[in-house]
Amino acid sequence: MTPVRDTTAGRRIVVCVGSGGVGKTTVAAAIALDRALAGGRVLVCTIDPARRLANALGLTSLGNVESRVPDHKFAEAGLRAKGELHAMMLDVKRTWDDLVARHAPDPARRERILKNRLYQQMSSALAGSQEYMAMEKLYELATDRDYDLIVLDTPPTAHALDFLDAPDRILDFLGNDAARVLLAPAIGAGKLGLRLAQLGGGYVAKTLARFTGQAALSDLGDFLQGFQGMYEGFKDRAGAVRALLSRPEVGFVLVTSPSPISIDEAMAFHERLHAESMPVAGLVANRVTPDLWPGAAPLPSPEDLASPLGERGGNDRGFARRLAETLAEHQMLAAAERRALERLFEAVSAPYAVVPRLESDVHDLRGLARLAERL
Amino acid sequence: MVTGKGGVGKSTVSAALAVLAARAGKRVLVCEVNARERIAPLLGAPPAGAQIREARPGLFTLNVTPPDAMREYGIMVLKFRTIYDAVFENRLVRHFLRVIPSLAELVMLGKILFEAKSEERGRPRWDVVIVDAPATGHAVQLLRVPSALLDTVPAGPLRGDAEWMQALLLDPARTALAIVTLPEEMPVNEAIDLDAQVRSELGVPRAALFVNAMPEARFTHEEEARLESLAGEPPPLGPAAAAARLQALRAEQAQRYLARARAALDLPTTVLPLLPVAEWGAAAVERIADAIAAAPPEPAP
Ligand SMILES: Nc1ncnc2c1ncn2[C@@H]1O[C@H](COP(=O)(O)OP(=O)(O)OP(=O)(O)O)[C@@H](O)[C@H]1O
Ligand SMILES: Nc1ncnc2c1ncn2[C@@H]1O[C@H](COP(=O)(O)OP(=O)(O)OP(=O)(O)O)[C@@H](O)[C@H]1O
Ligand SMILES: [Mg+2]
Ligand SMILES: [Mg+2]
Repeated sequence: MTPVRDTTAGRRIVVCVGSGGVGKTTVAAAIALDRALAGGRVLVCTIDPARRLANALGLTSLGNVESRVPDHKFAEAGLRAKGELHAMMLDVKRTWDDLVARHAPDPARRERILKNRLYQQMSSALAGSQEYMAMEKLYELATDRDYDLIVLDTPPTAHALDFLDAPDRILDFLGNDAARVLLAPAIGAGKLGLRLAQLGGGYVAKTLARFTGQAALSDLGDFLQGFQGMYEGFKDRAGAVRALLSRPEVGFVLVTSPSPISIDEAMAFHERLHAESMPVAGLVANRVTPDLWPGAAPLPSPEDLASPLGERGGNDRGFARRLAETLAEHQMLAAAERRALERLFEAVSAPYAVVPRLESDVHDLRGLARLAERL
Repeated sequence: MVTGKGGVGKSTVSAALAVLAARAGKRVLVCEVNARERIAPLLGAPPAGAQIREARPGLFTLNVTPPDAMREYGIMVLKFRTIYDAVFENRLVRHFLRVIPSLAELVMLGKILFEAKSEERGRPRWDVVIVDAPATGHAVQLLRVPSALLDTVPAGPLRGDAEWMQALLLDPARTALAIVTLPEEMPVNEAIDLDAQVRSELGVPRAALFVNAMPEARFTHEEEARLESLAGEPPPLGPAAAAARLQALRAEQAQRYLARARAALDLPTTVLPLLPVAEWGAAAVERIADAIAAAPPEPAP
């Protein structure tokens, strides 16, 4: 059975979400590879991939460059792609700059924004910036290119829901009503004090400036003024991204580890997608400890293992005891994970795949193809 | 200051360090930074909310959040609560403050460092303050705030605060940064990048590396070679050998990443065991604390 593979098969956009480190990037690449092997023309947009995975996909630098994984890479992995696999790494700063360039009314304004210190900080470091730009890039790719499938990886947020919330937070910042009342329209940074003074008497202005420093207020005034008139464009665009994400050709894949914390996040995310009518393609429980002792029979004791071991090369230094202990430990974890995952699969009615923890981490096409088999 | 990639065990290590300090009779405060509260539960205490609470004798926890820190800081700067309420409880102003980048970080760091230097009856209020800092990127943003302010803000109360905060952060007699990682590719890479950034940019004194969740080297190479074929045997031997083989492979992979972390980071290193437990809680934290106590950090190479 390959439930997640089946439910993603008809979609044109797949978005992999989940809490930090659960395997979003890996699963995104595996889904993309799988469709490319089957004949699709596919793009995977990764975010901070592990270096060796980036190498395996032939990605050497940032810059939003889409590059096709060459045939010889497939051949080296013993694979043959009927279709094409393209990959890129999201460049957050570049995506911001492109966005500004697209919306700026003239080159002077563009330069003014690009040079603003607050803008530079925001475009590289502000929390949520990555999430916002991932959505922005997805929209551009989905509208300008003709891939059969685009798979979007999402940033390593502490909380999966940040992916949906962060863009709004940033838009809120750009279109901040309060700031607008305080600073806009049409006042220069120099007249800031004056404008502030109009709000509830002079002491408010003085207190605020004391708190943040006049420089911070001026920077912000300049920044918001730079964006003056562009906010609507940004907002329309964000609305369009939202609309895109609600279309049935899109599918969210919720990736989780078997740990209770990550499962809680996946459930919260699912609820949210449901509330916003965004389509869920499936769940992937990743890096799960495989059940090696199915059934109800009691686990073997060291003595149970000692005699077959004796016949096959000996039982030195308590080898049998260590084997018995290792299996017991393994099964204890497998059982705990199974209980935790049952809670998830009961609460969320969506197709799901359970992907075992593979023998080594997944950093090449062969490993990705193996993982895809389990989707 | 305890940081590292998301999910590597920062809260666990913070809680364990706090347990050790409390065991040694110290008065300890553990601060989380705008987190889903984990520390109090890891110490077997109910969540404490945004107040300082005693989780066990001598061991206190606090979850620092922007609104609370902002309020405290605001009142501290402005001296009068009435002014704060009049100005900052204004809806427009609140909204406005929320969007000034770094202001949240500033007030949270300020709150923490203020606790660190506060005194009661002429003695420091806390012997140790442990900060369960956010994951790498956000931790850097947090620790960068004072120096960023010093670069940009002219004289004023904000600058004065940035000055003492920076002095405290950079003082090796008072501040130490610990990096936590797992013996896996991404966490180790992130630890190495973070360490470089701390050295070149932040200047916070680097003190320790914790490599967490290290699987035990349980089988010899010879045994491992046997496991390969034994895994094909019928039960009970086959499944036991299969489990052992997975354990051995995982331990081997972890050894490689541990070696990589050691080679790249000249920090005293403490290796903490992977604990096979179904539920992660106070008992596990005690065991991690024991492991830290039993294994004084190996000096840097
Ligand atoms: N099924 C699996 N078996 C073994 N290792 C895996 C498996 N899935 C992922 N990994 C490994 O786990 C690590 C983390 O995976 P990945 O980078 O895809 O997670 P992520 O969710 O994208 O993380 P981040 O939140 O940091 O972006 C990688 O080293 C990857 O090779
Ligand atoms: N030594 C260990 N052995 C086994 N499991 C561990 C170990 N340390 C941590 N874990 C597991 O990892 C989980 C995350 O640990 P912890 O909450 O300390 O990480 P964190 O870095 O604080 O995470 P976050 O970035 O989400 O704050 C724990 O709930 C536990 O399941
Ligand atoms: Mg990733
Ligand atoms: Mg934590």
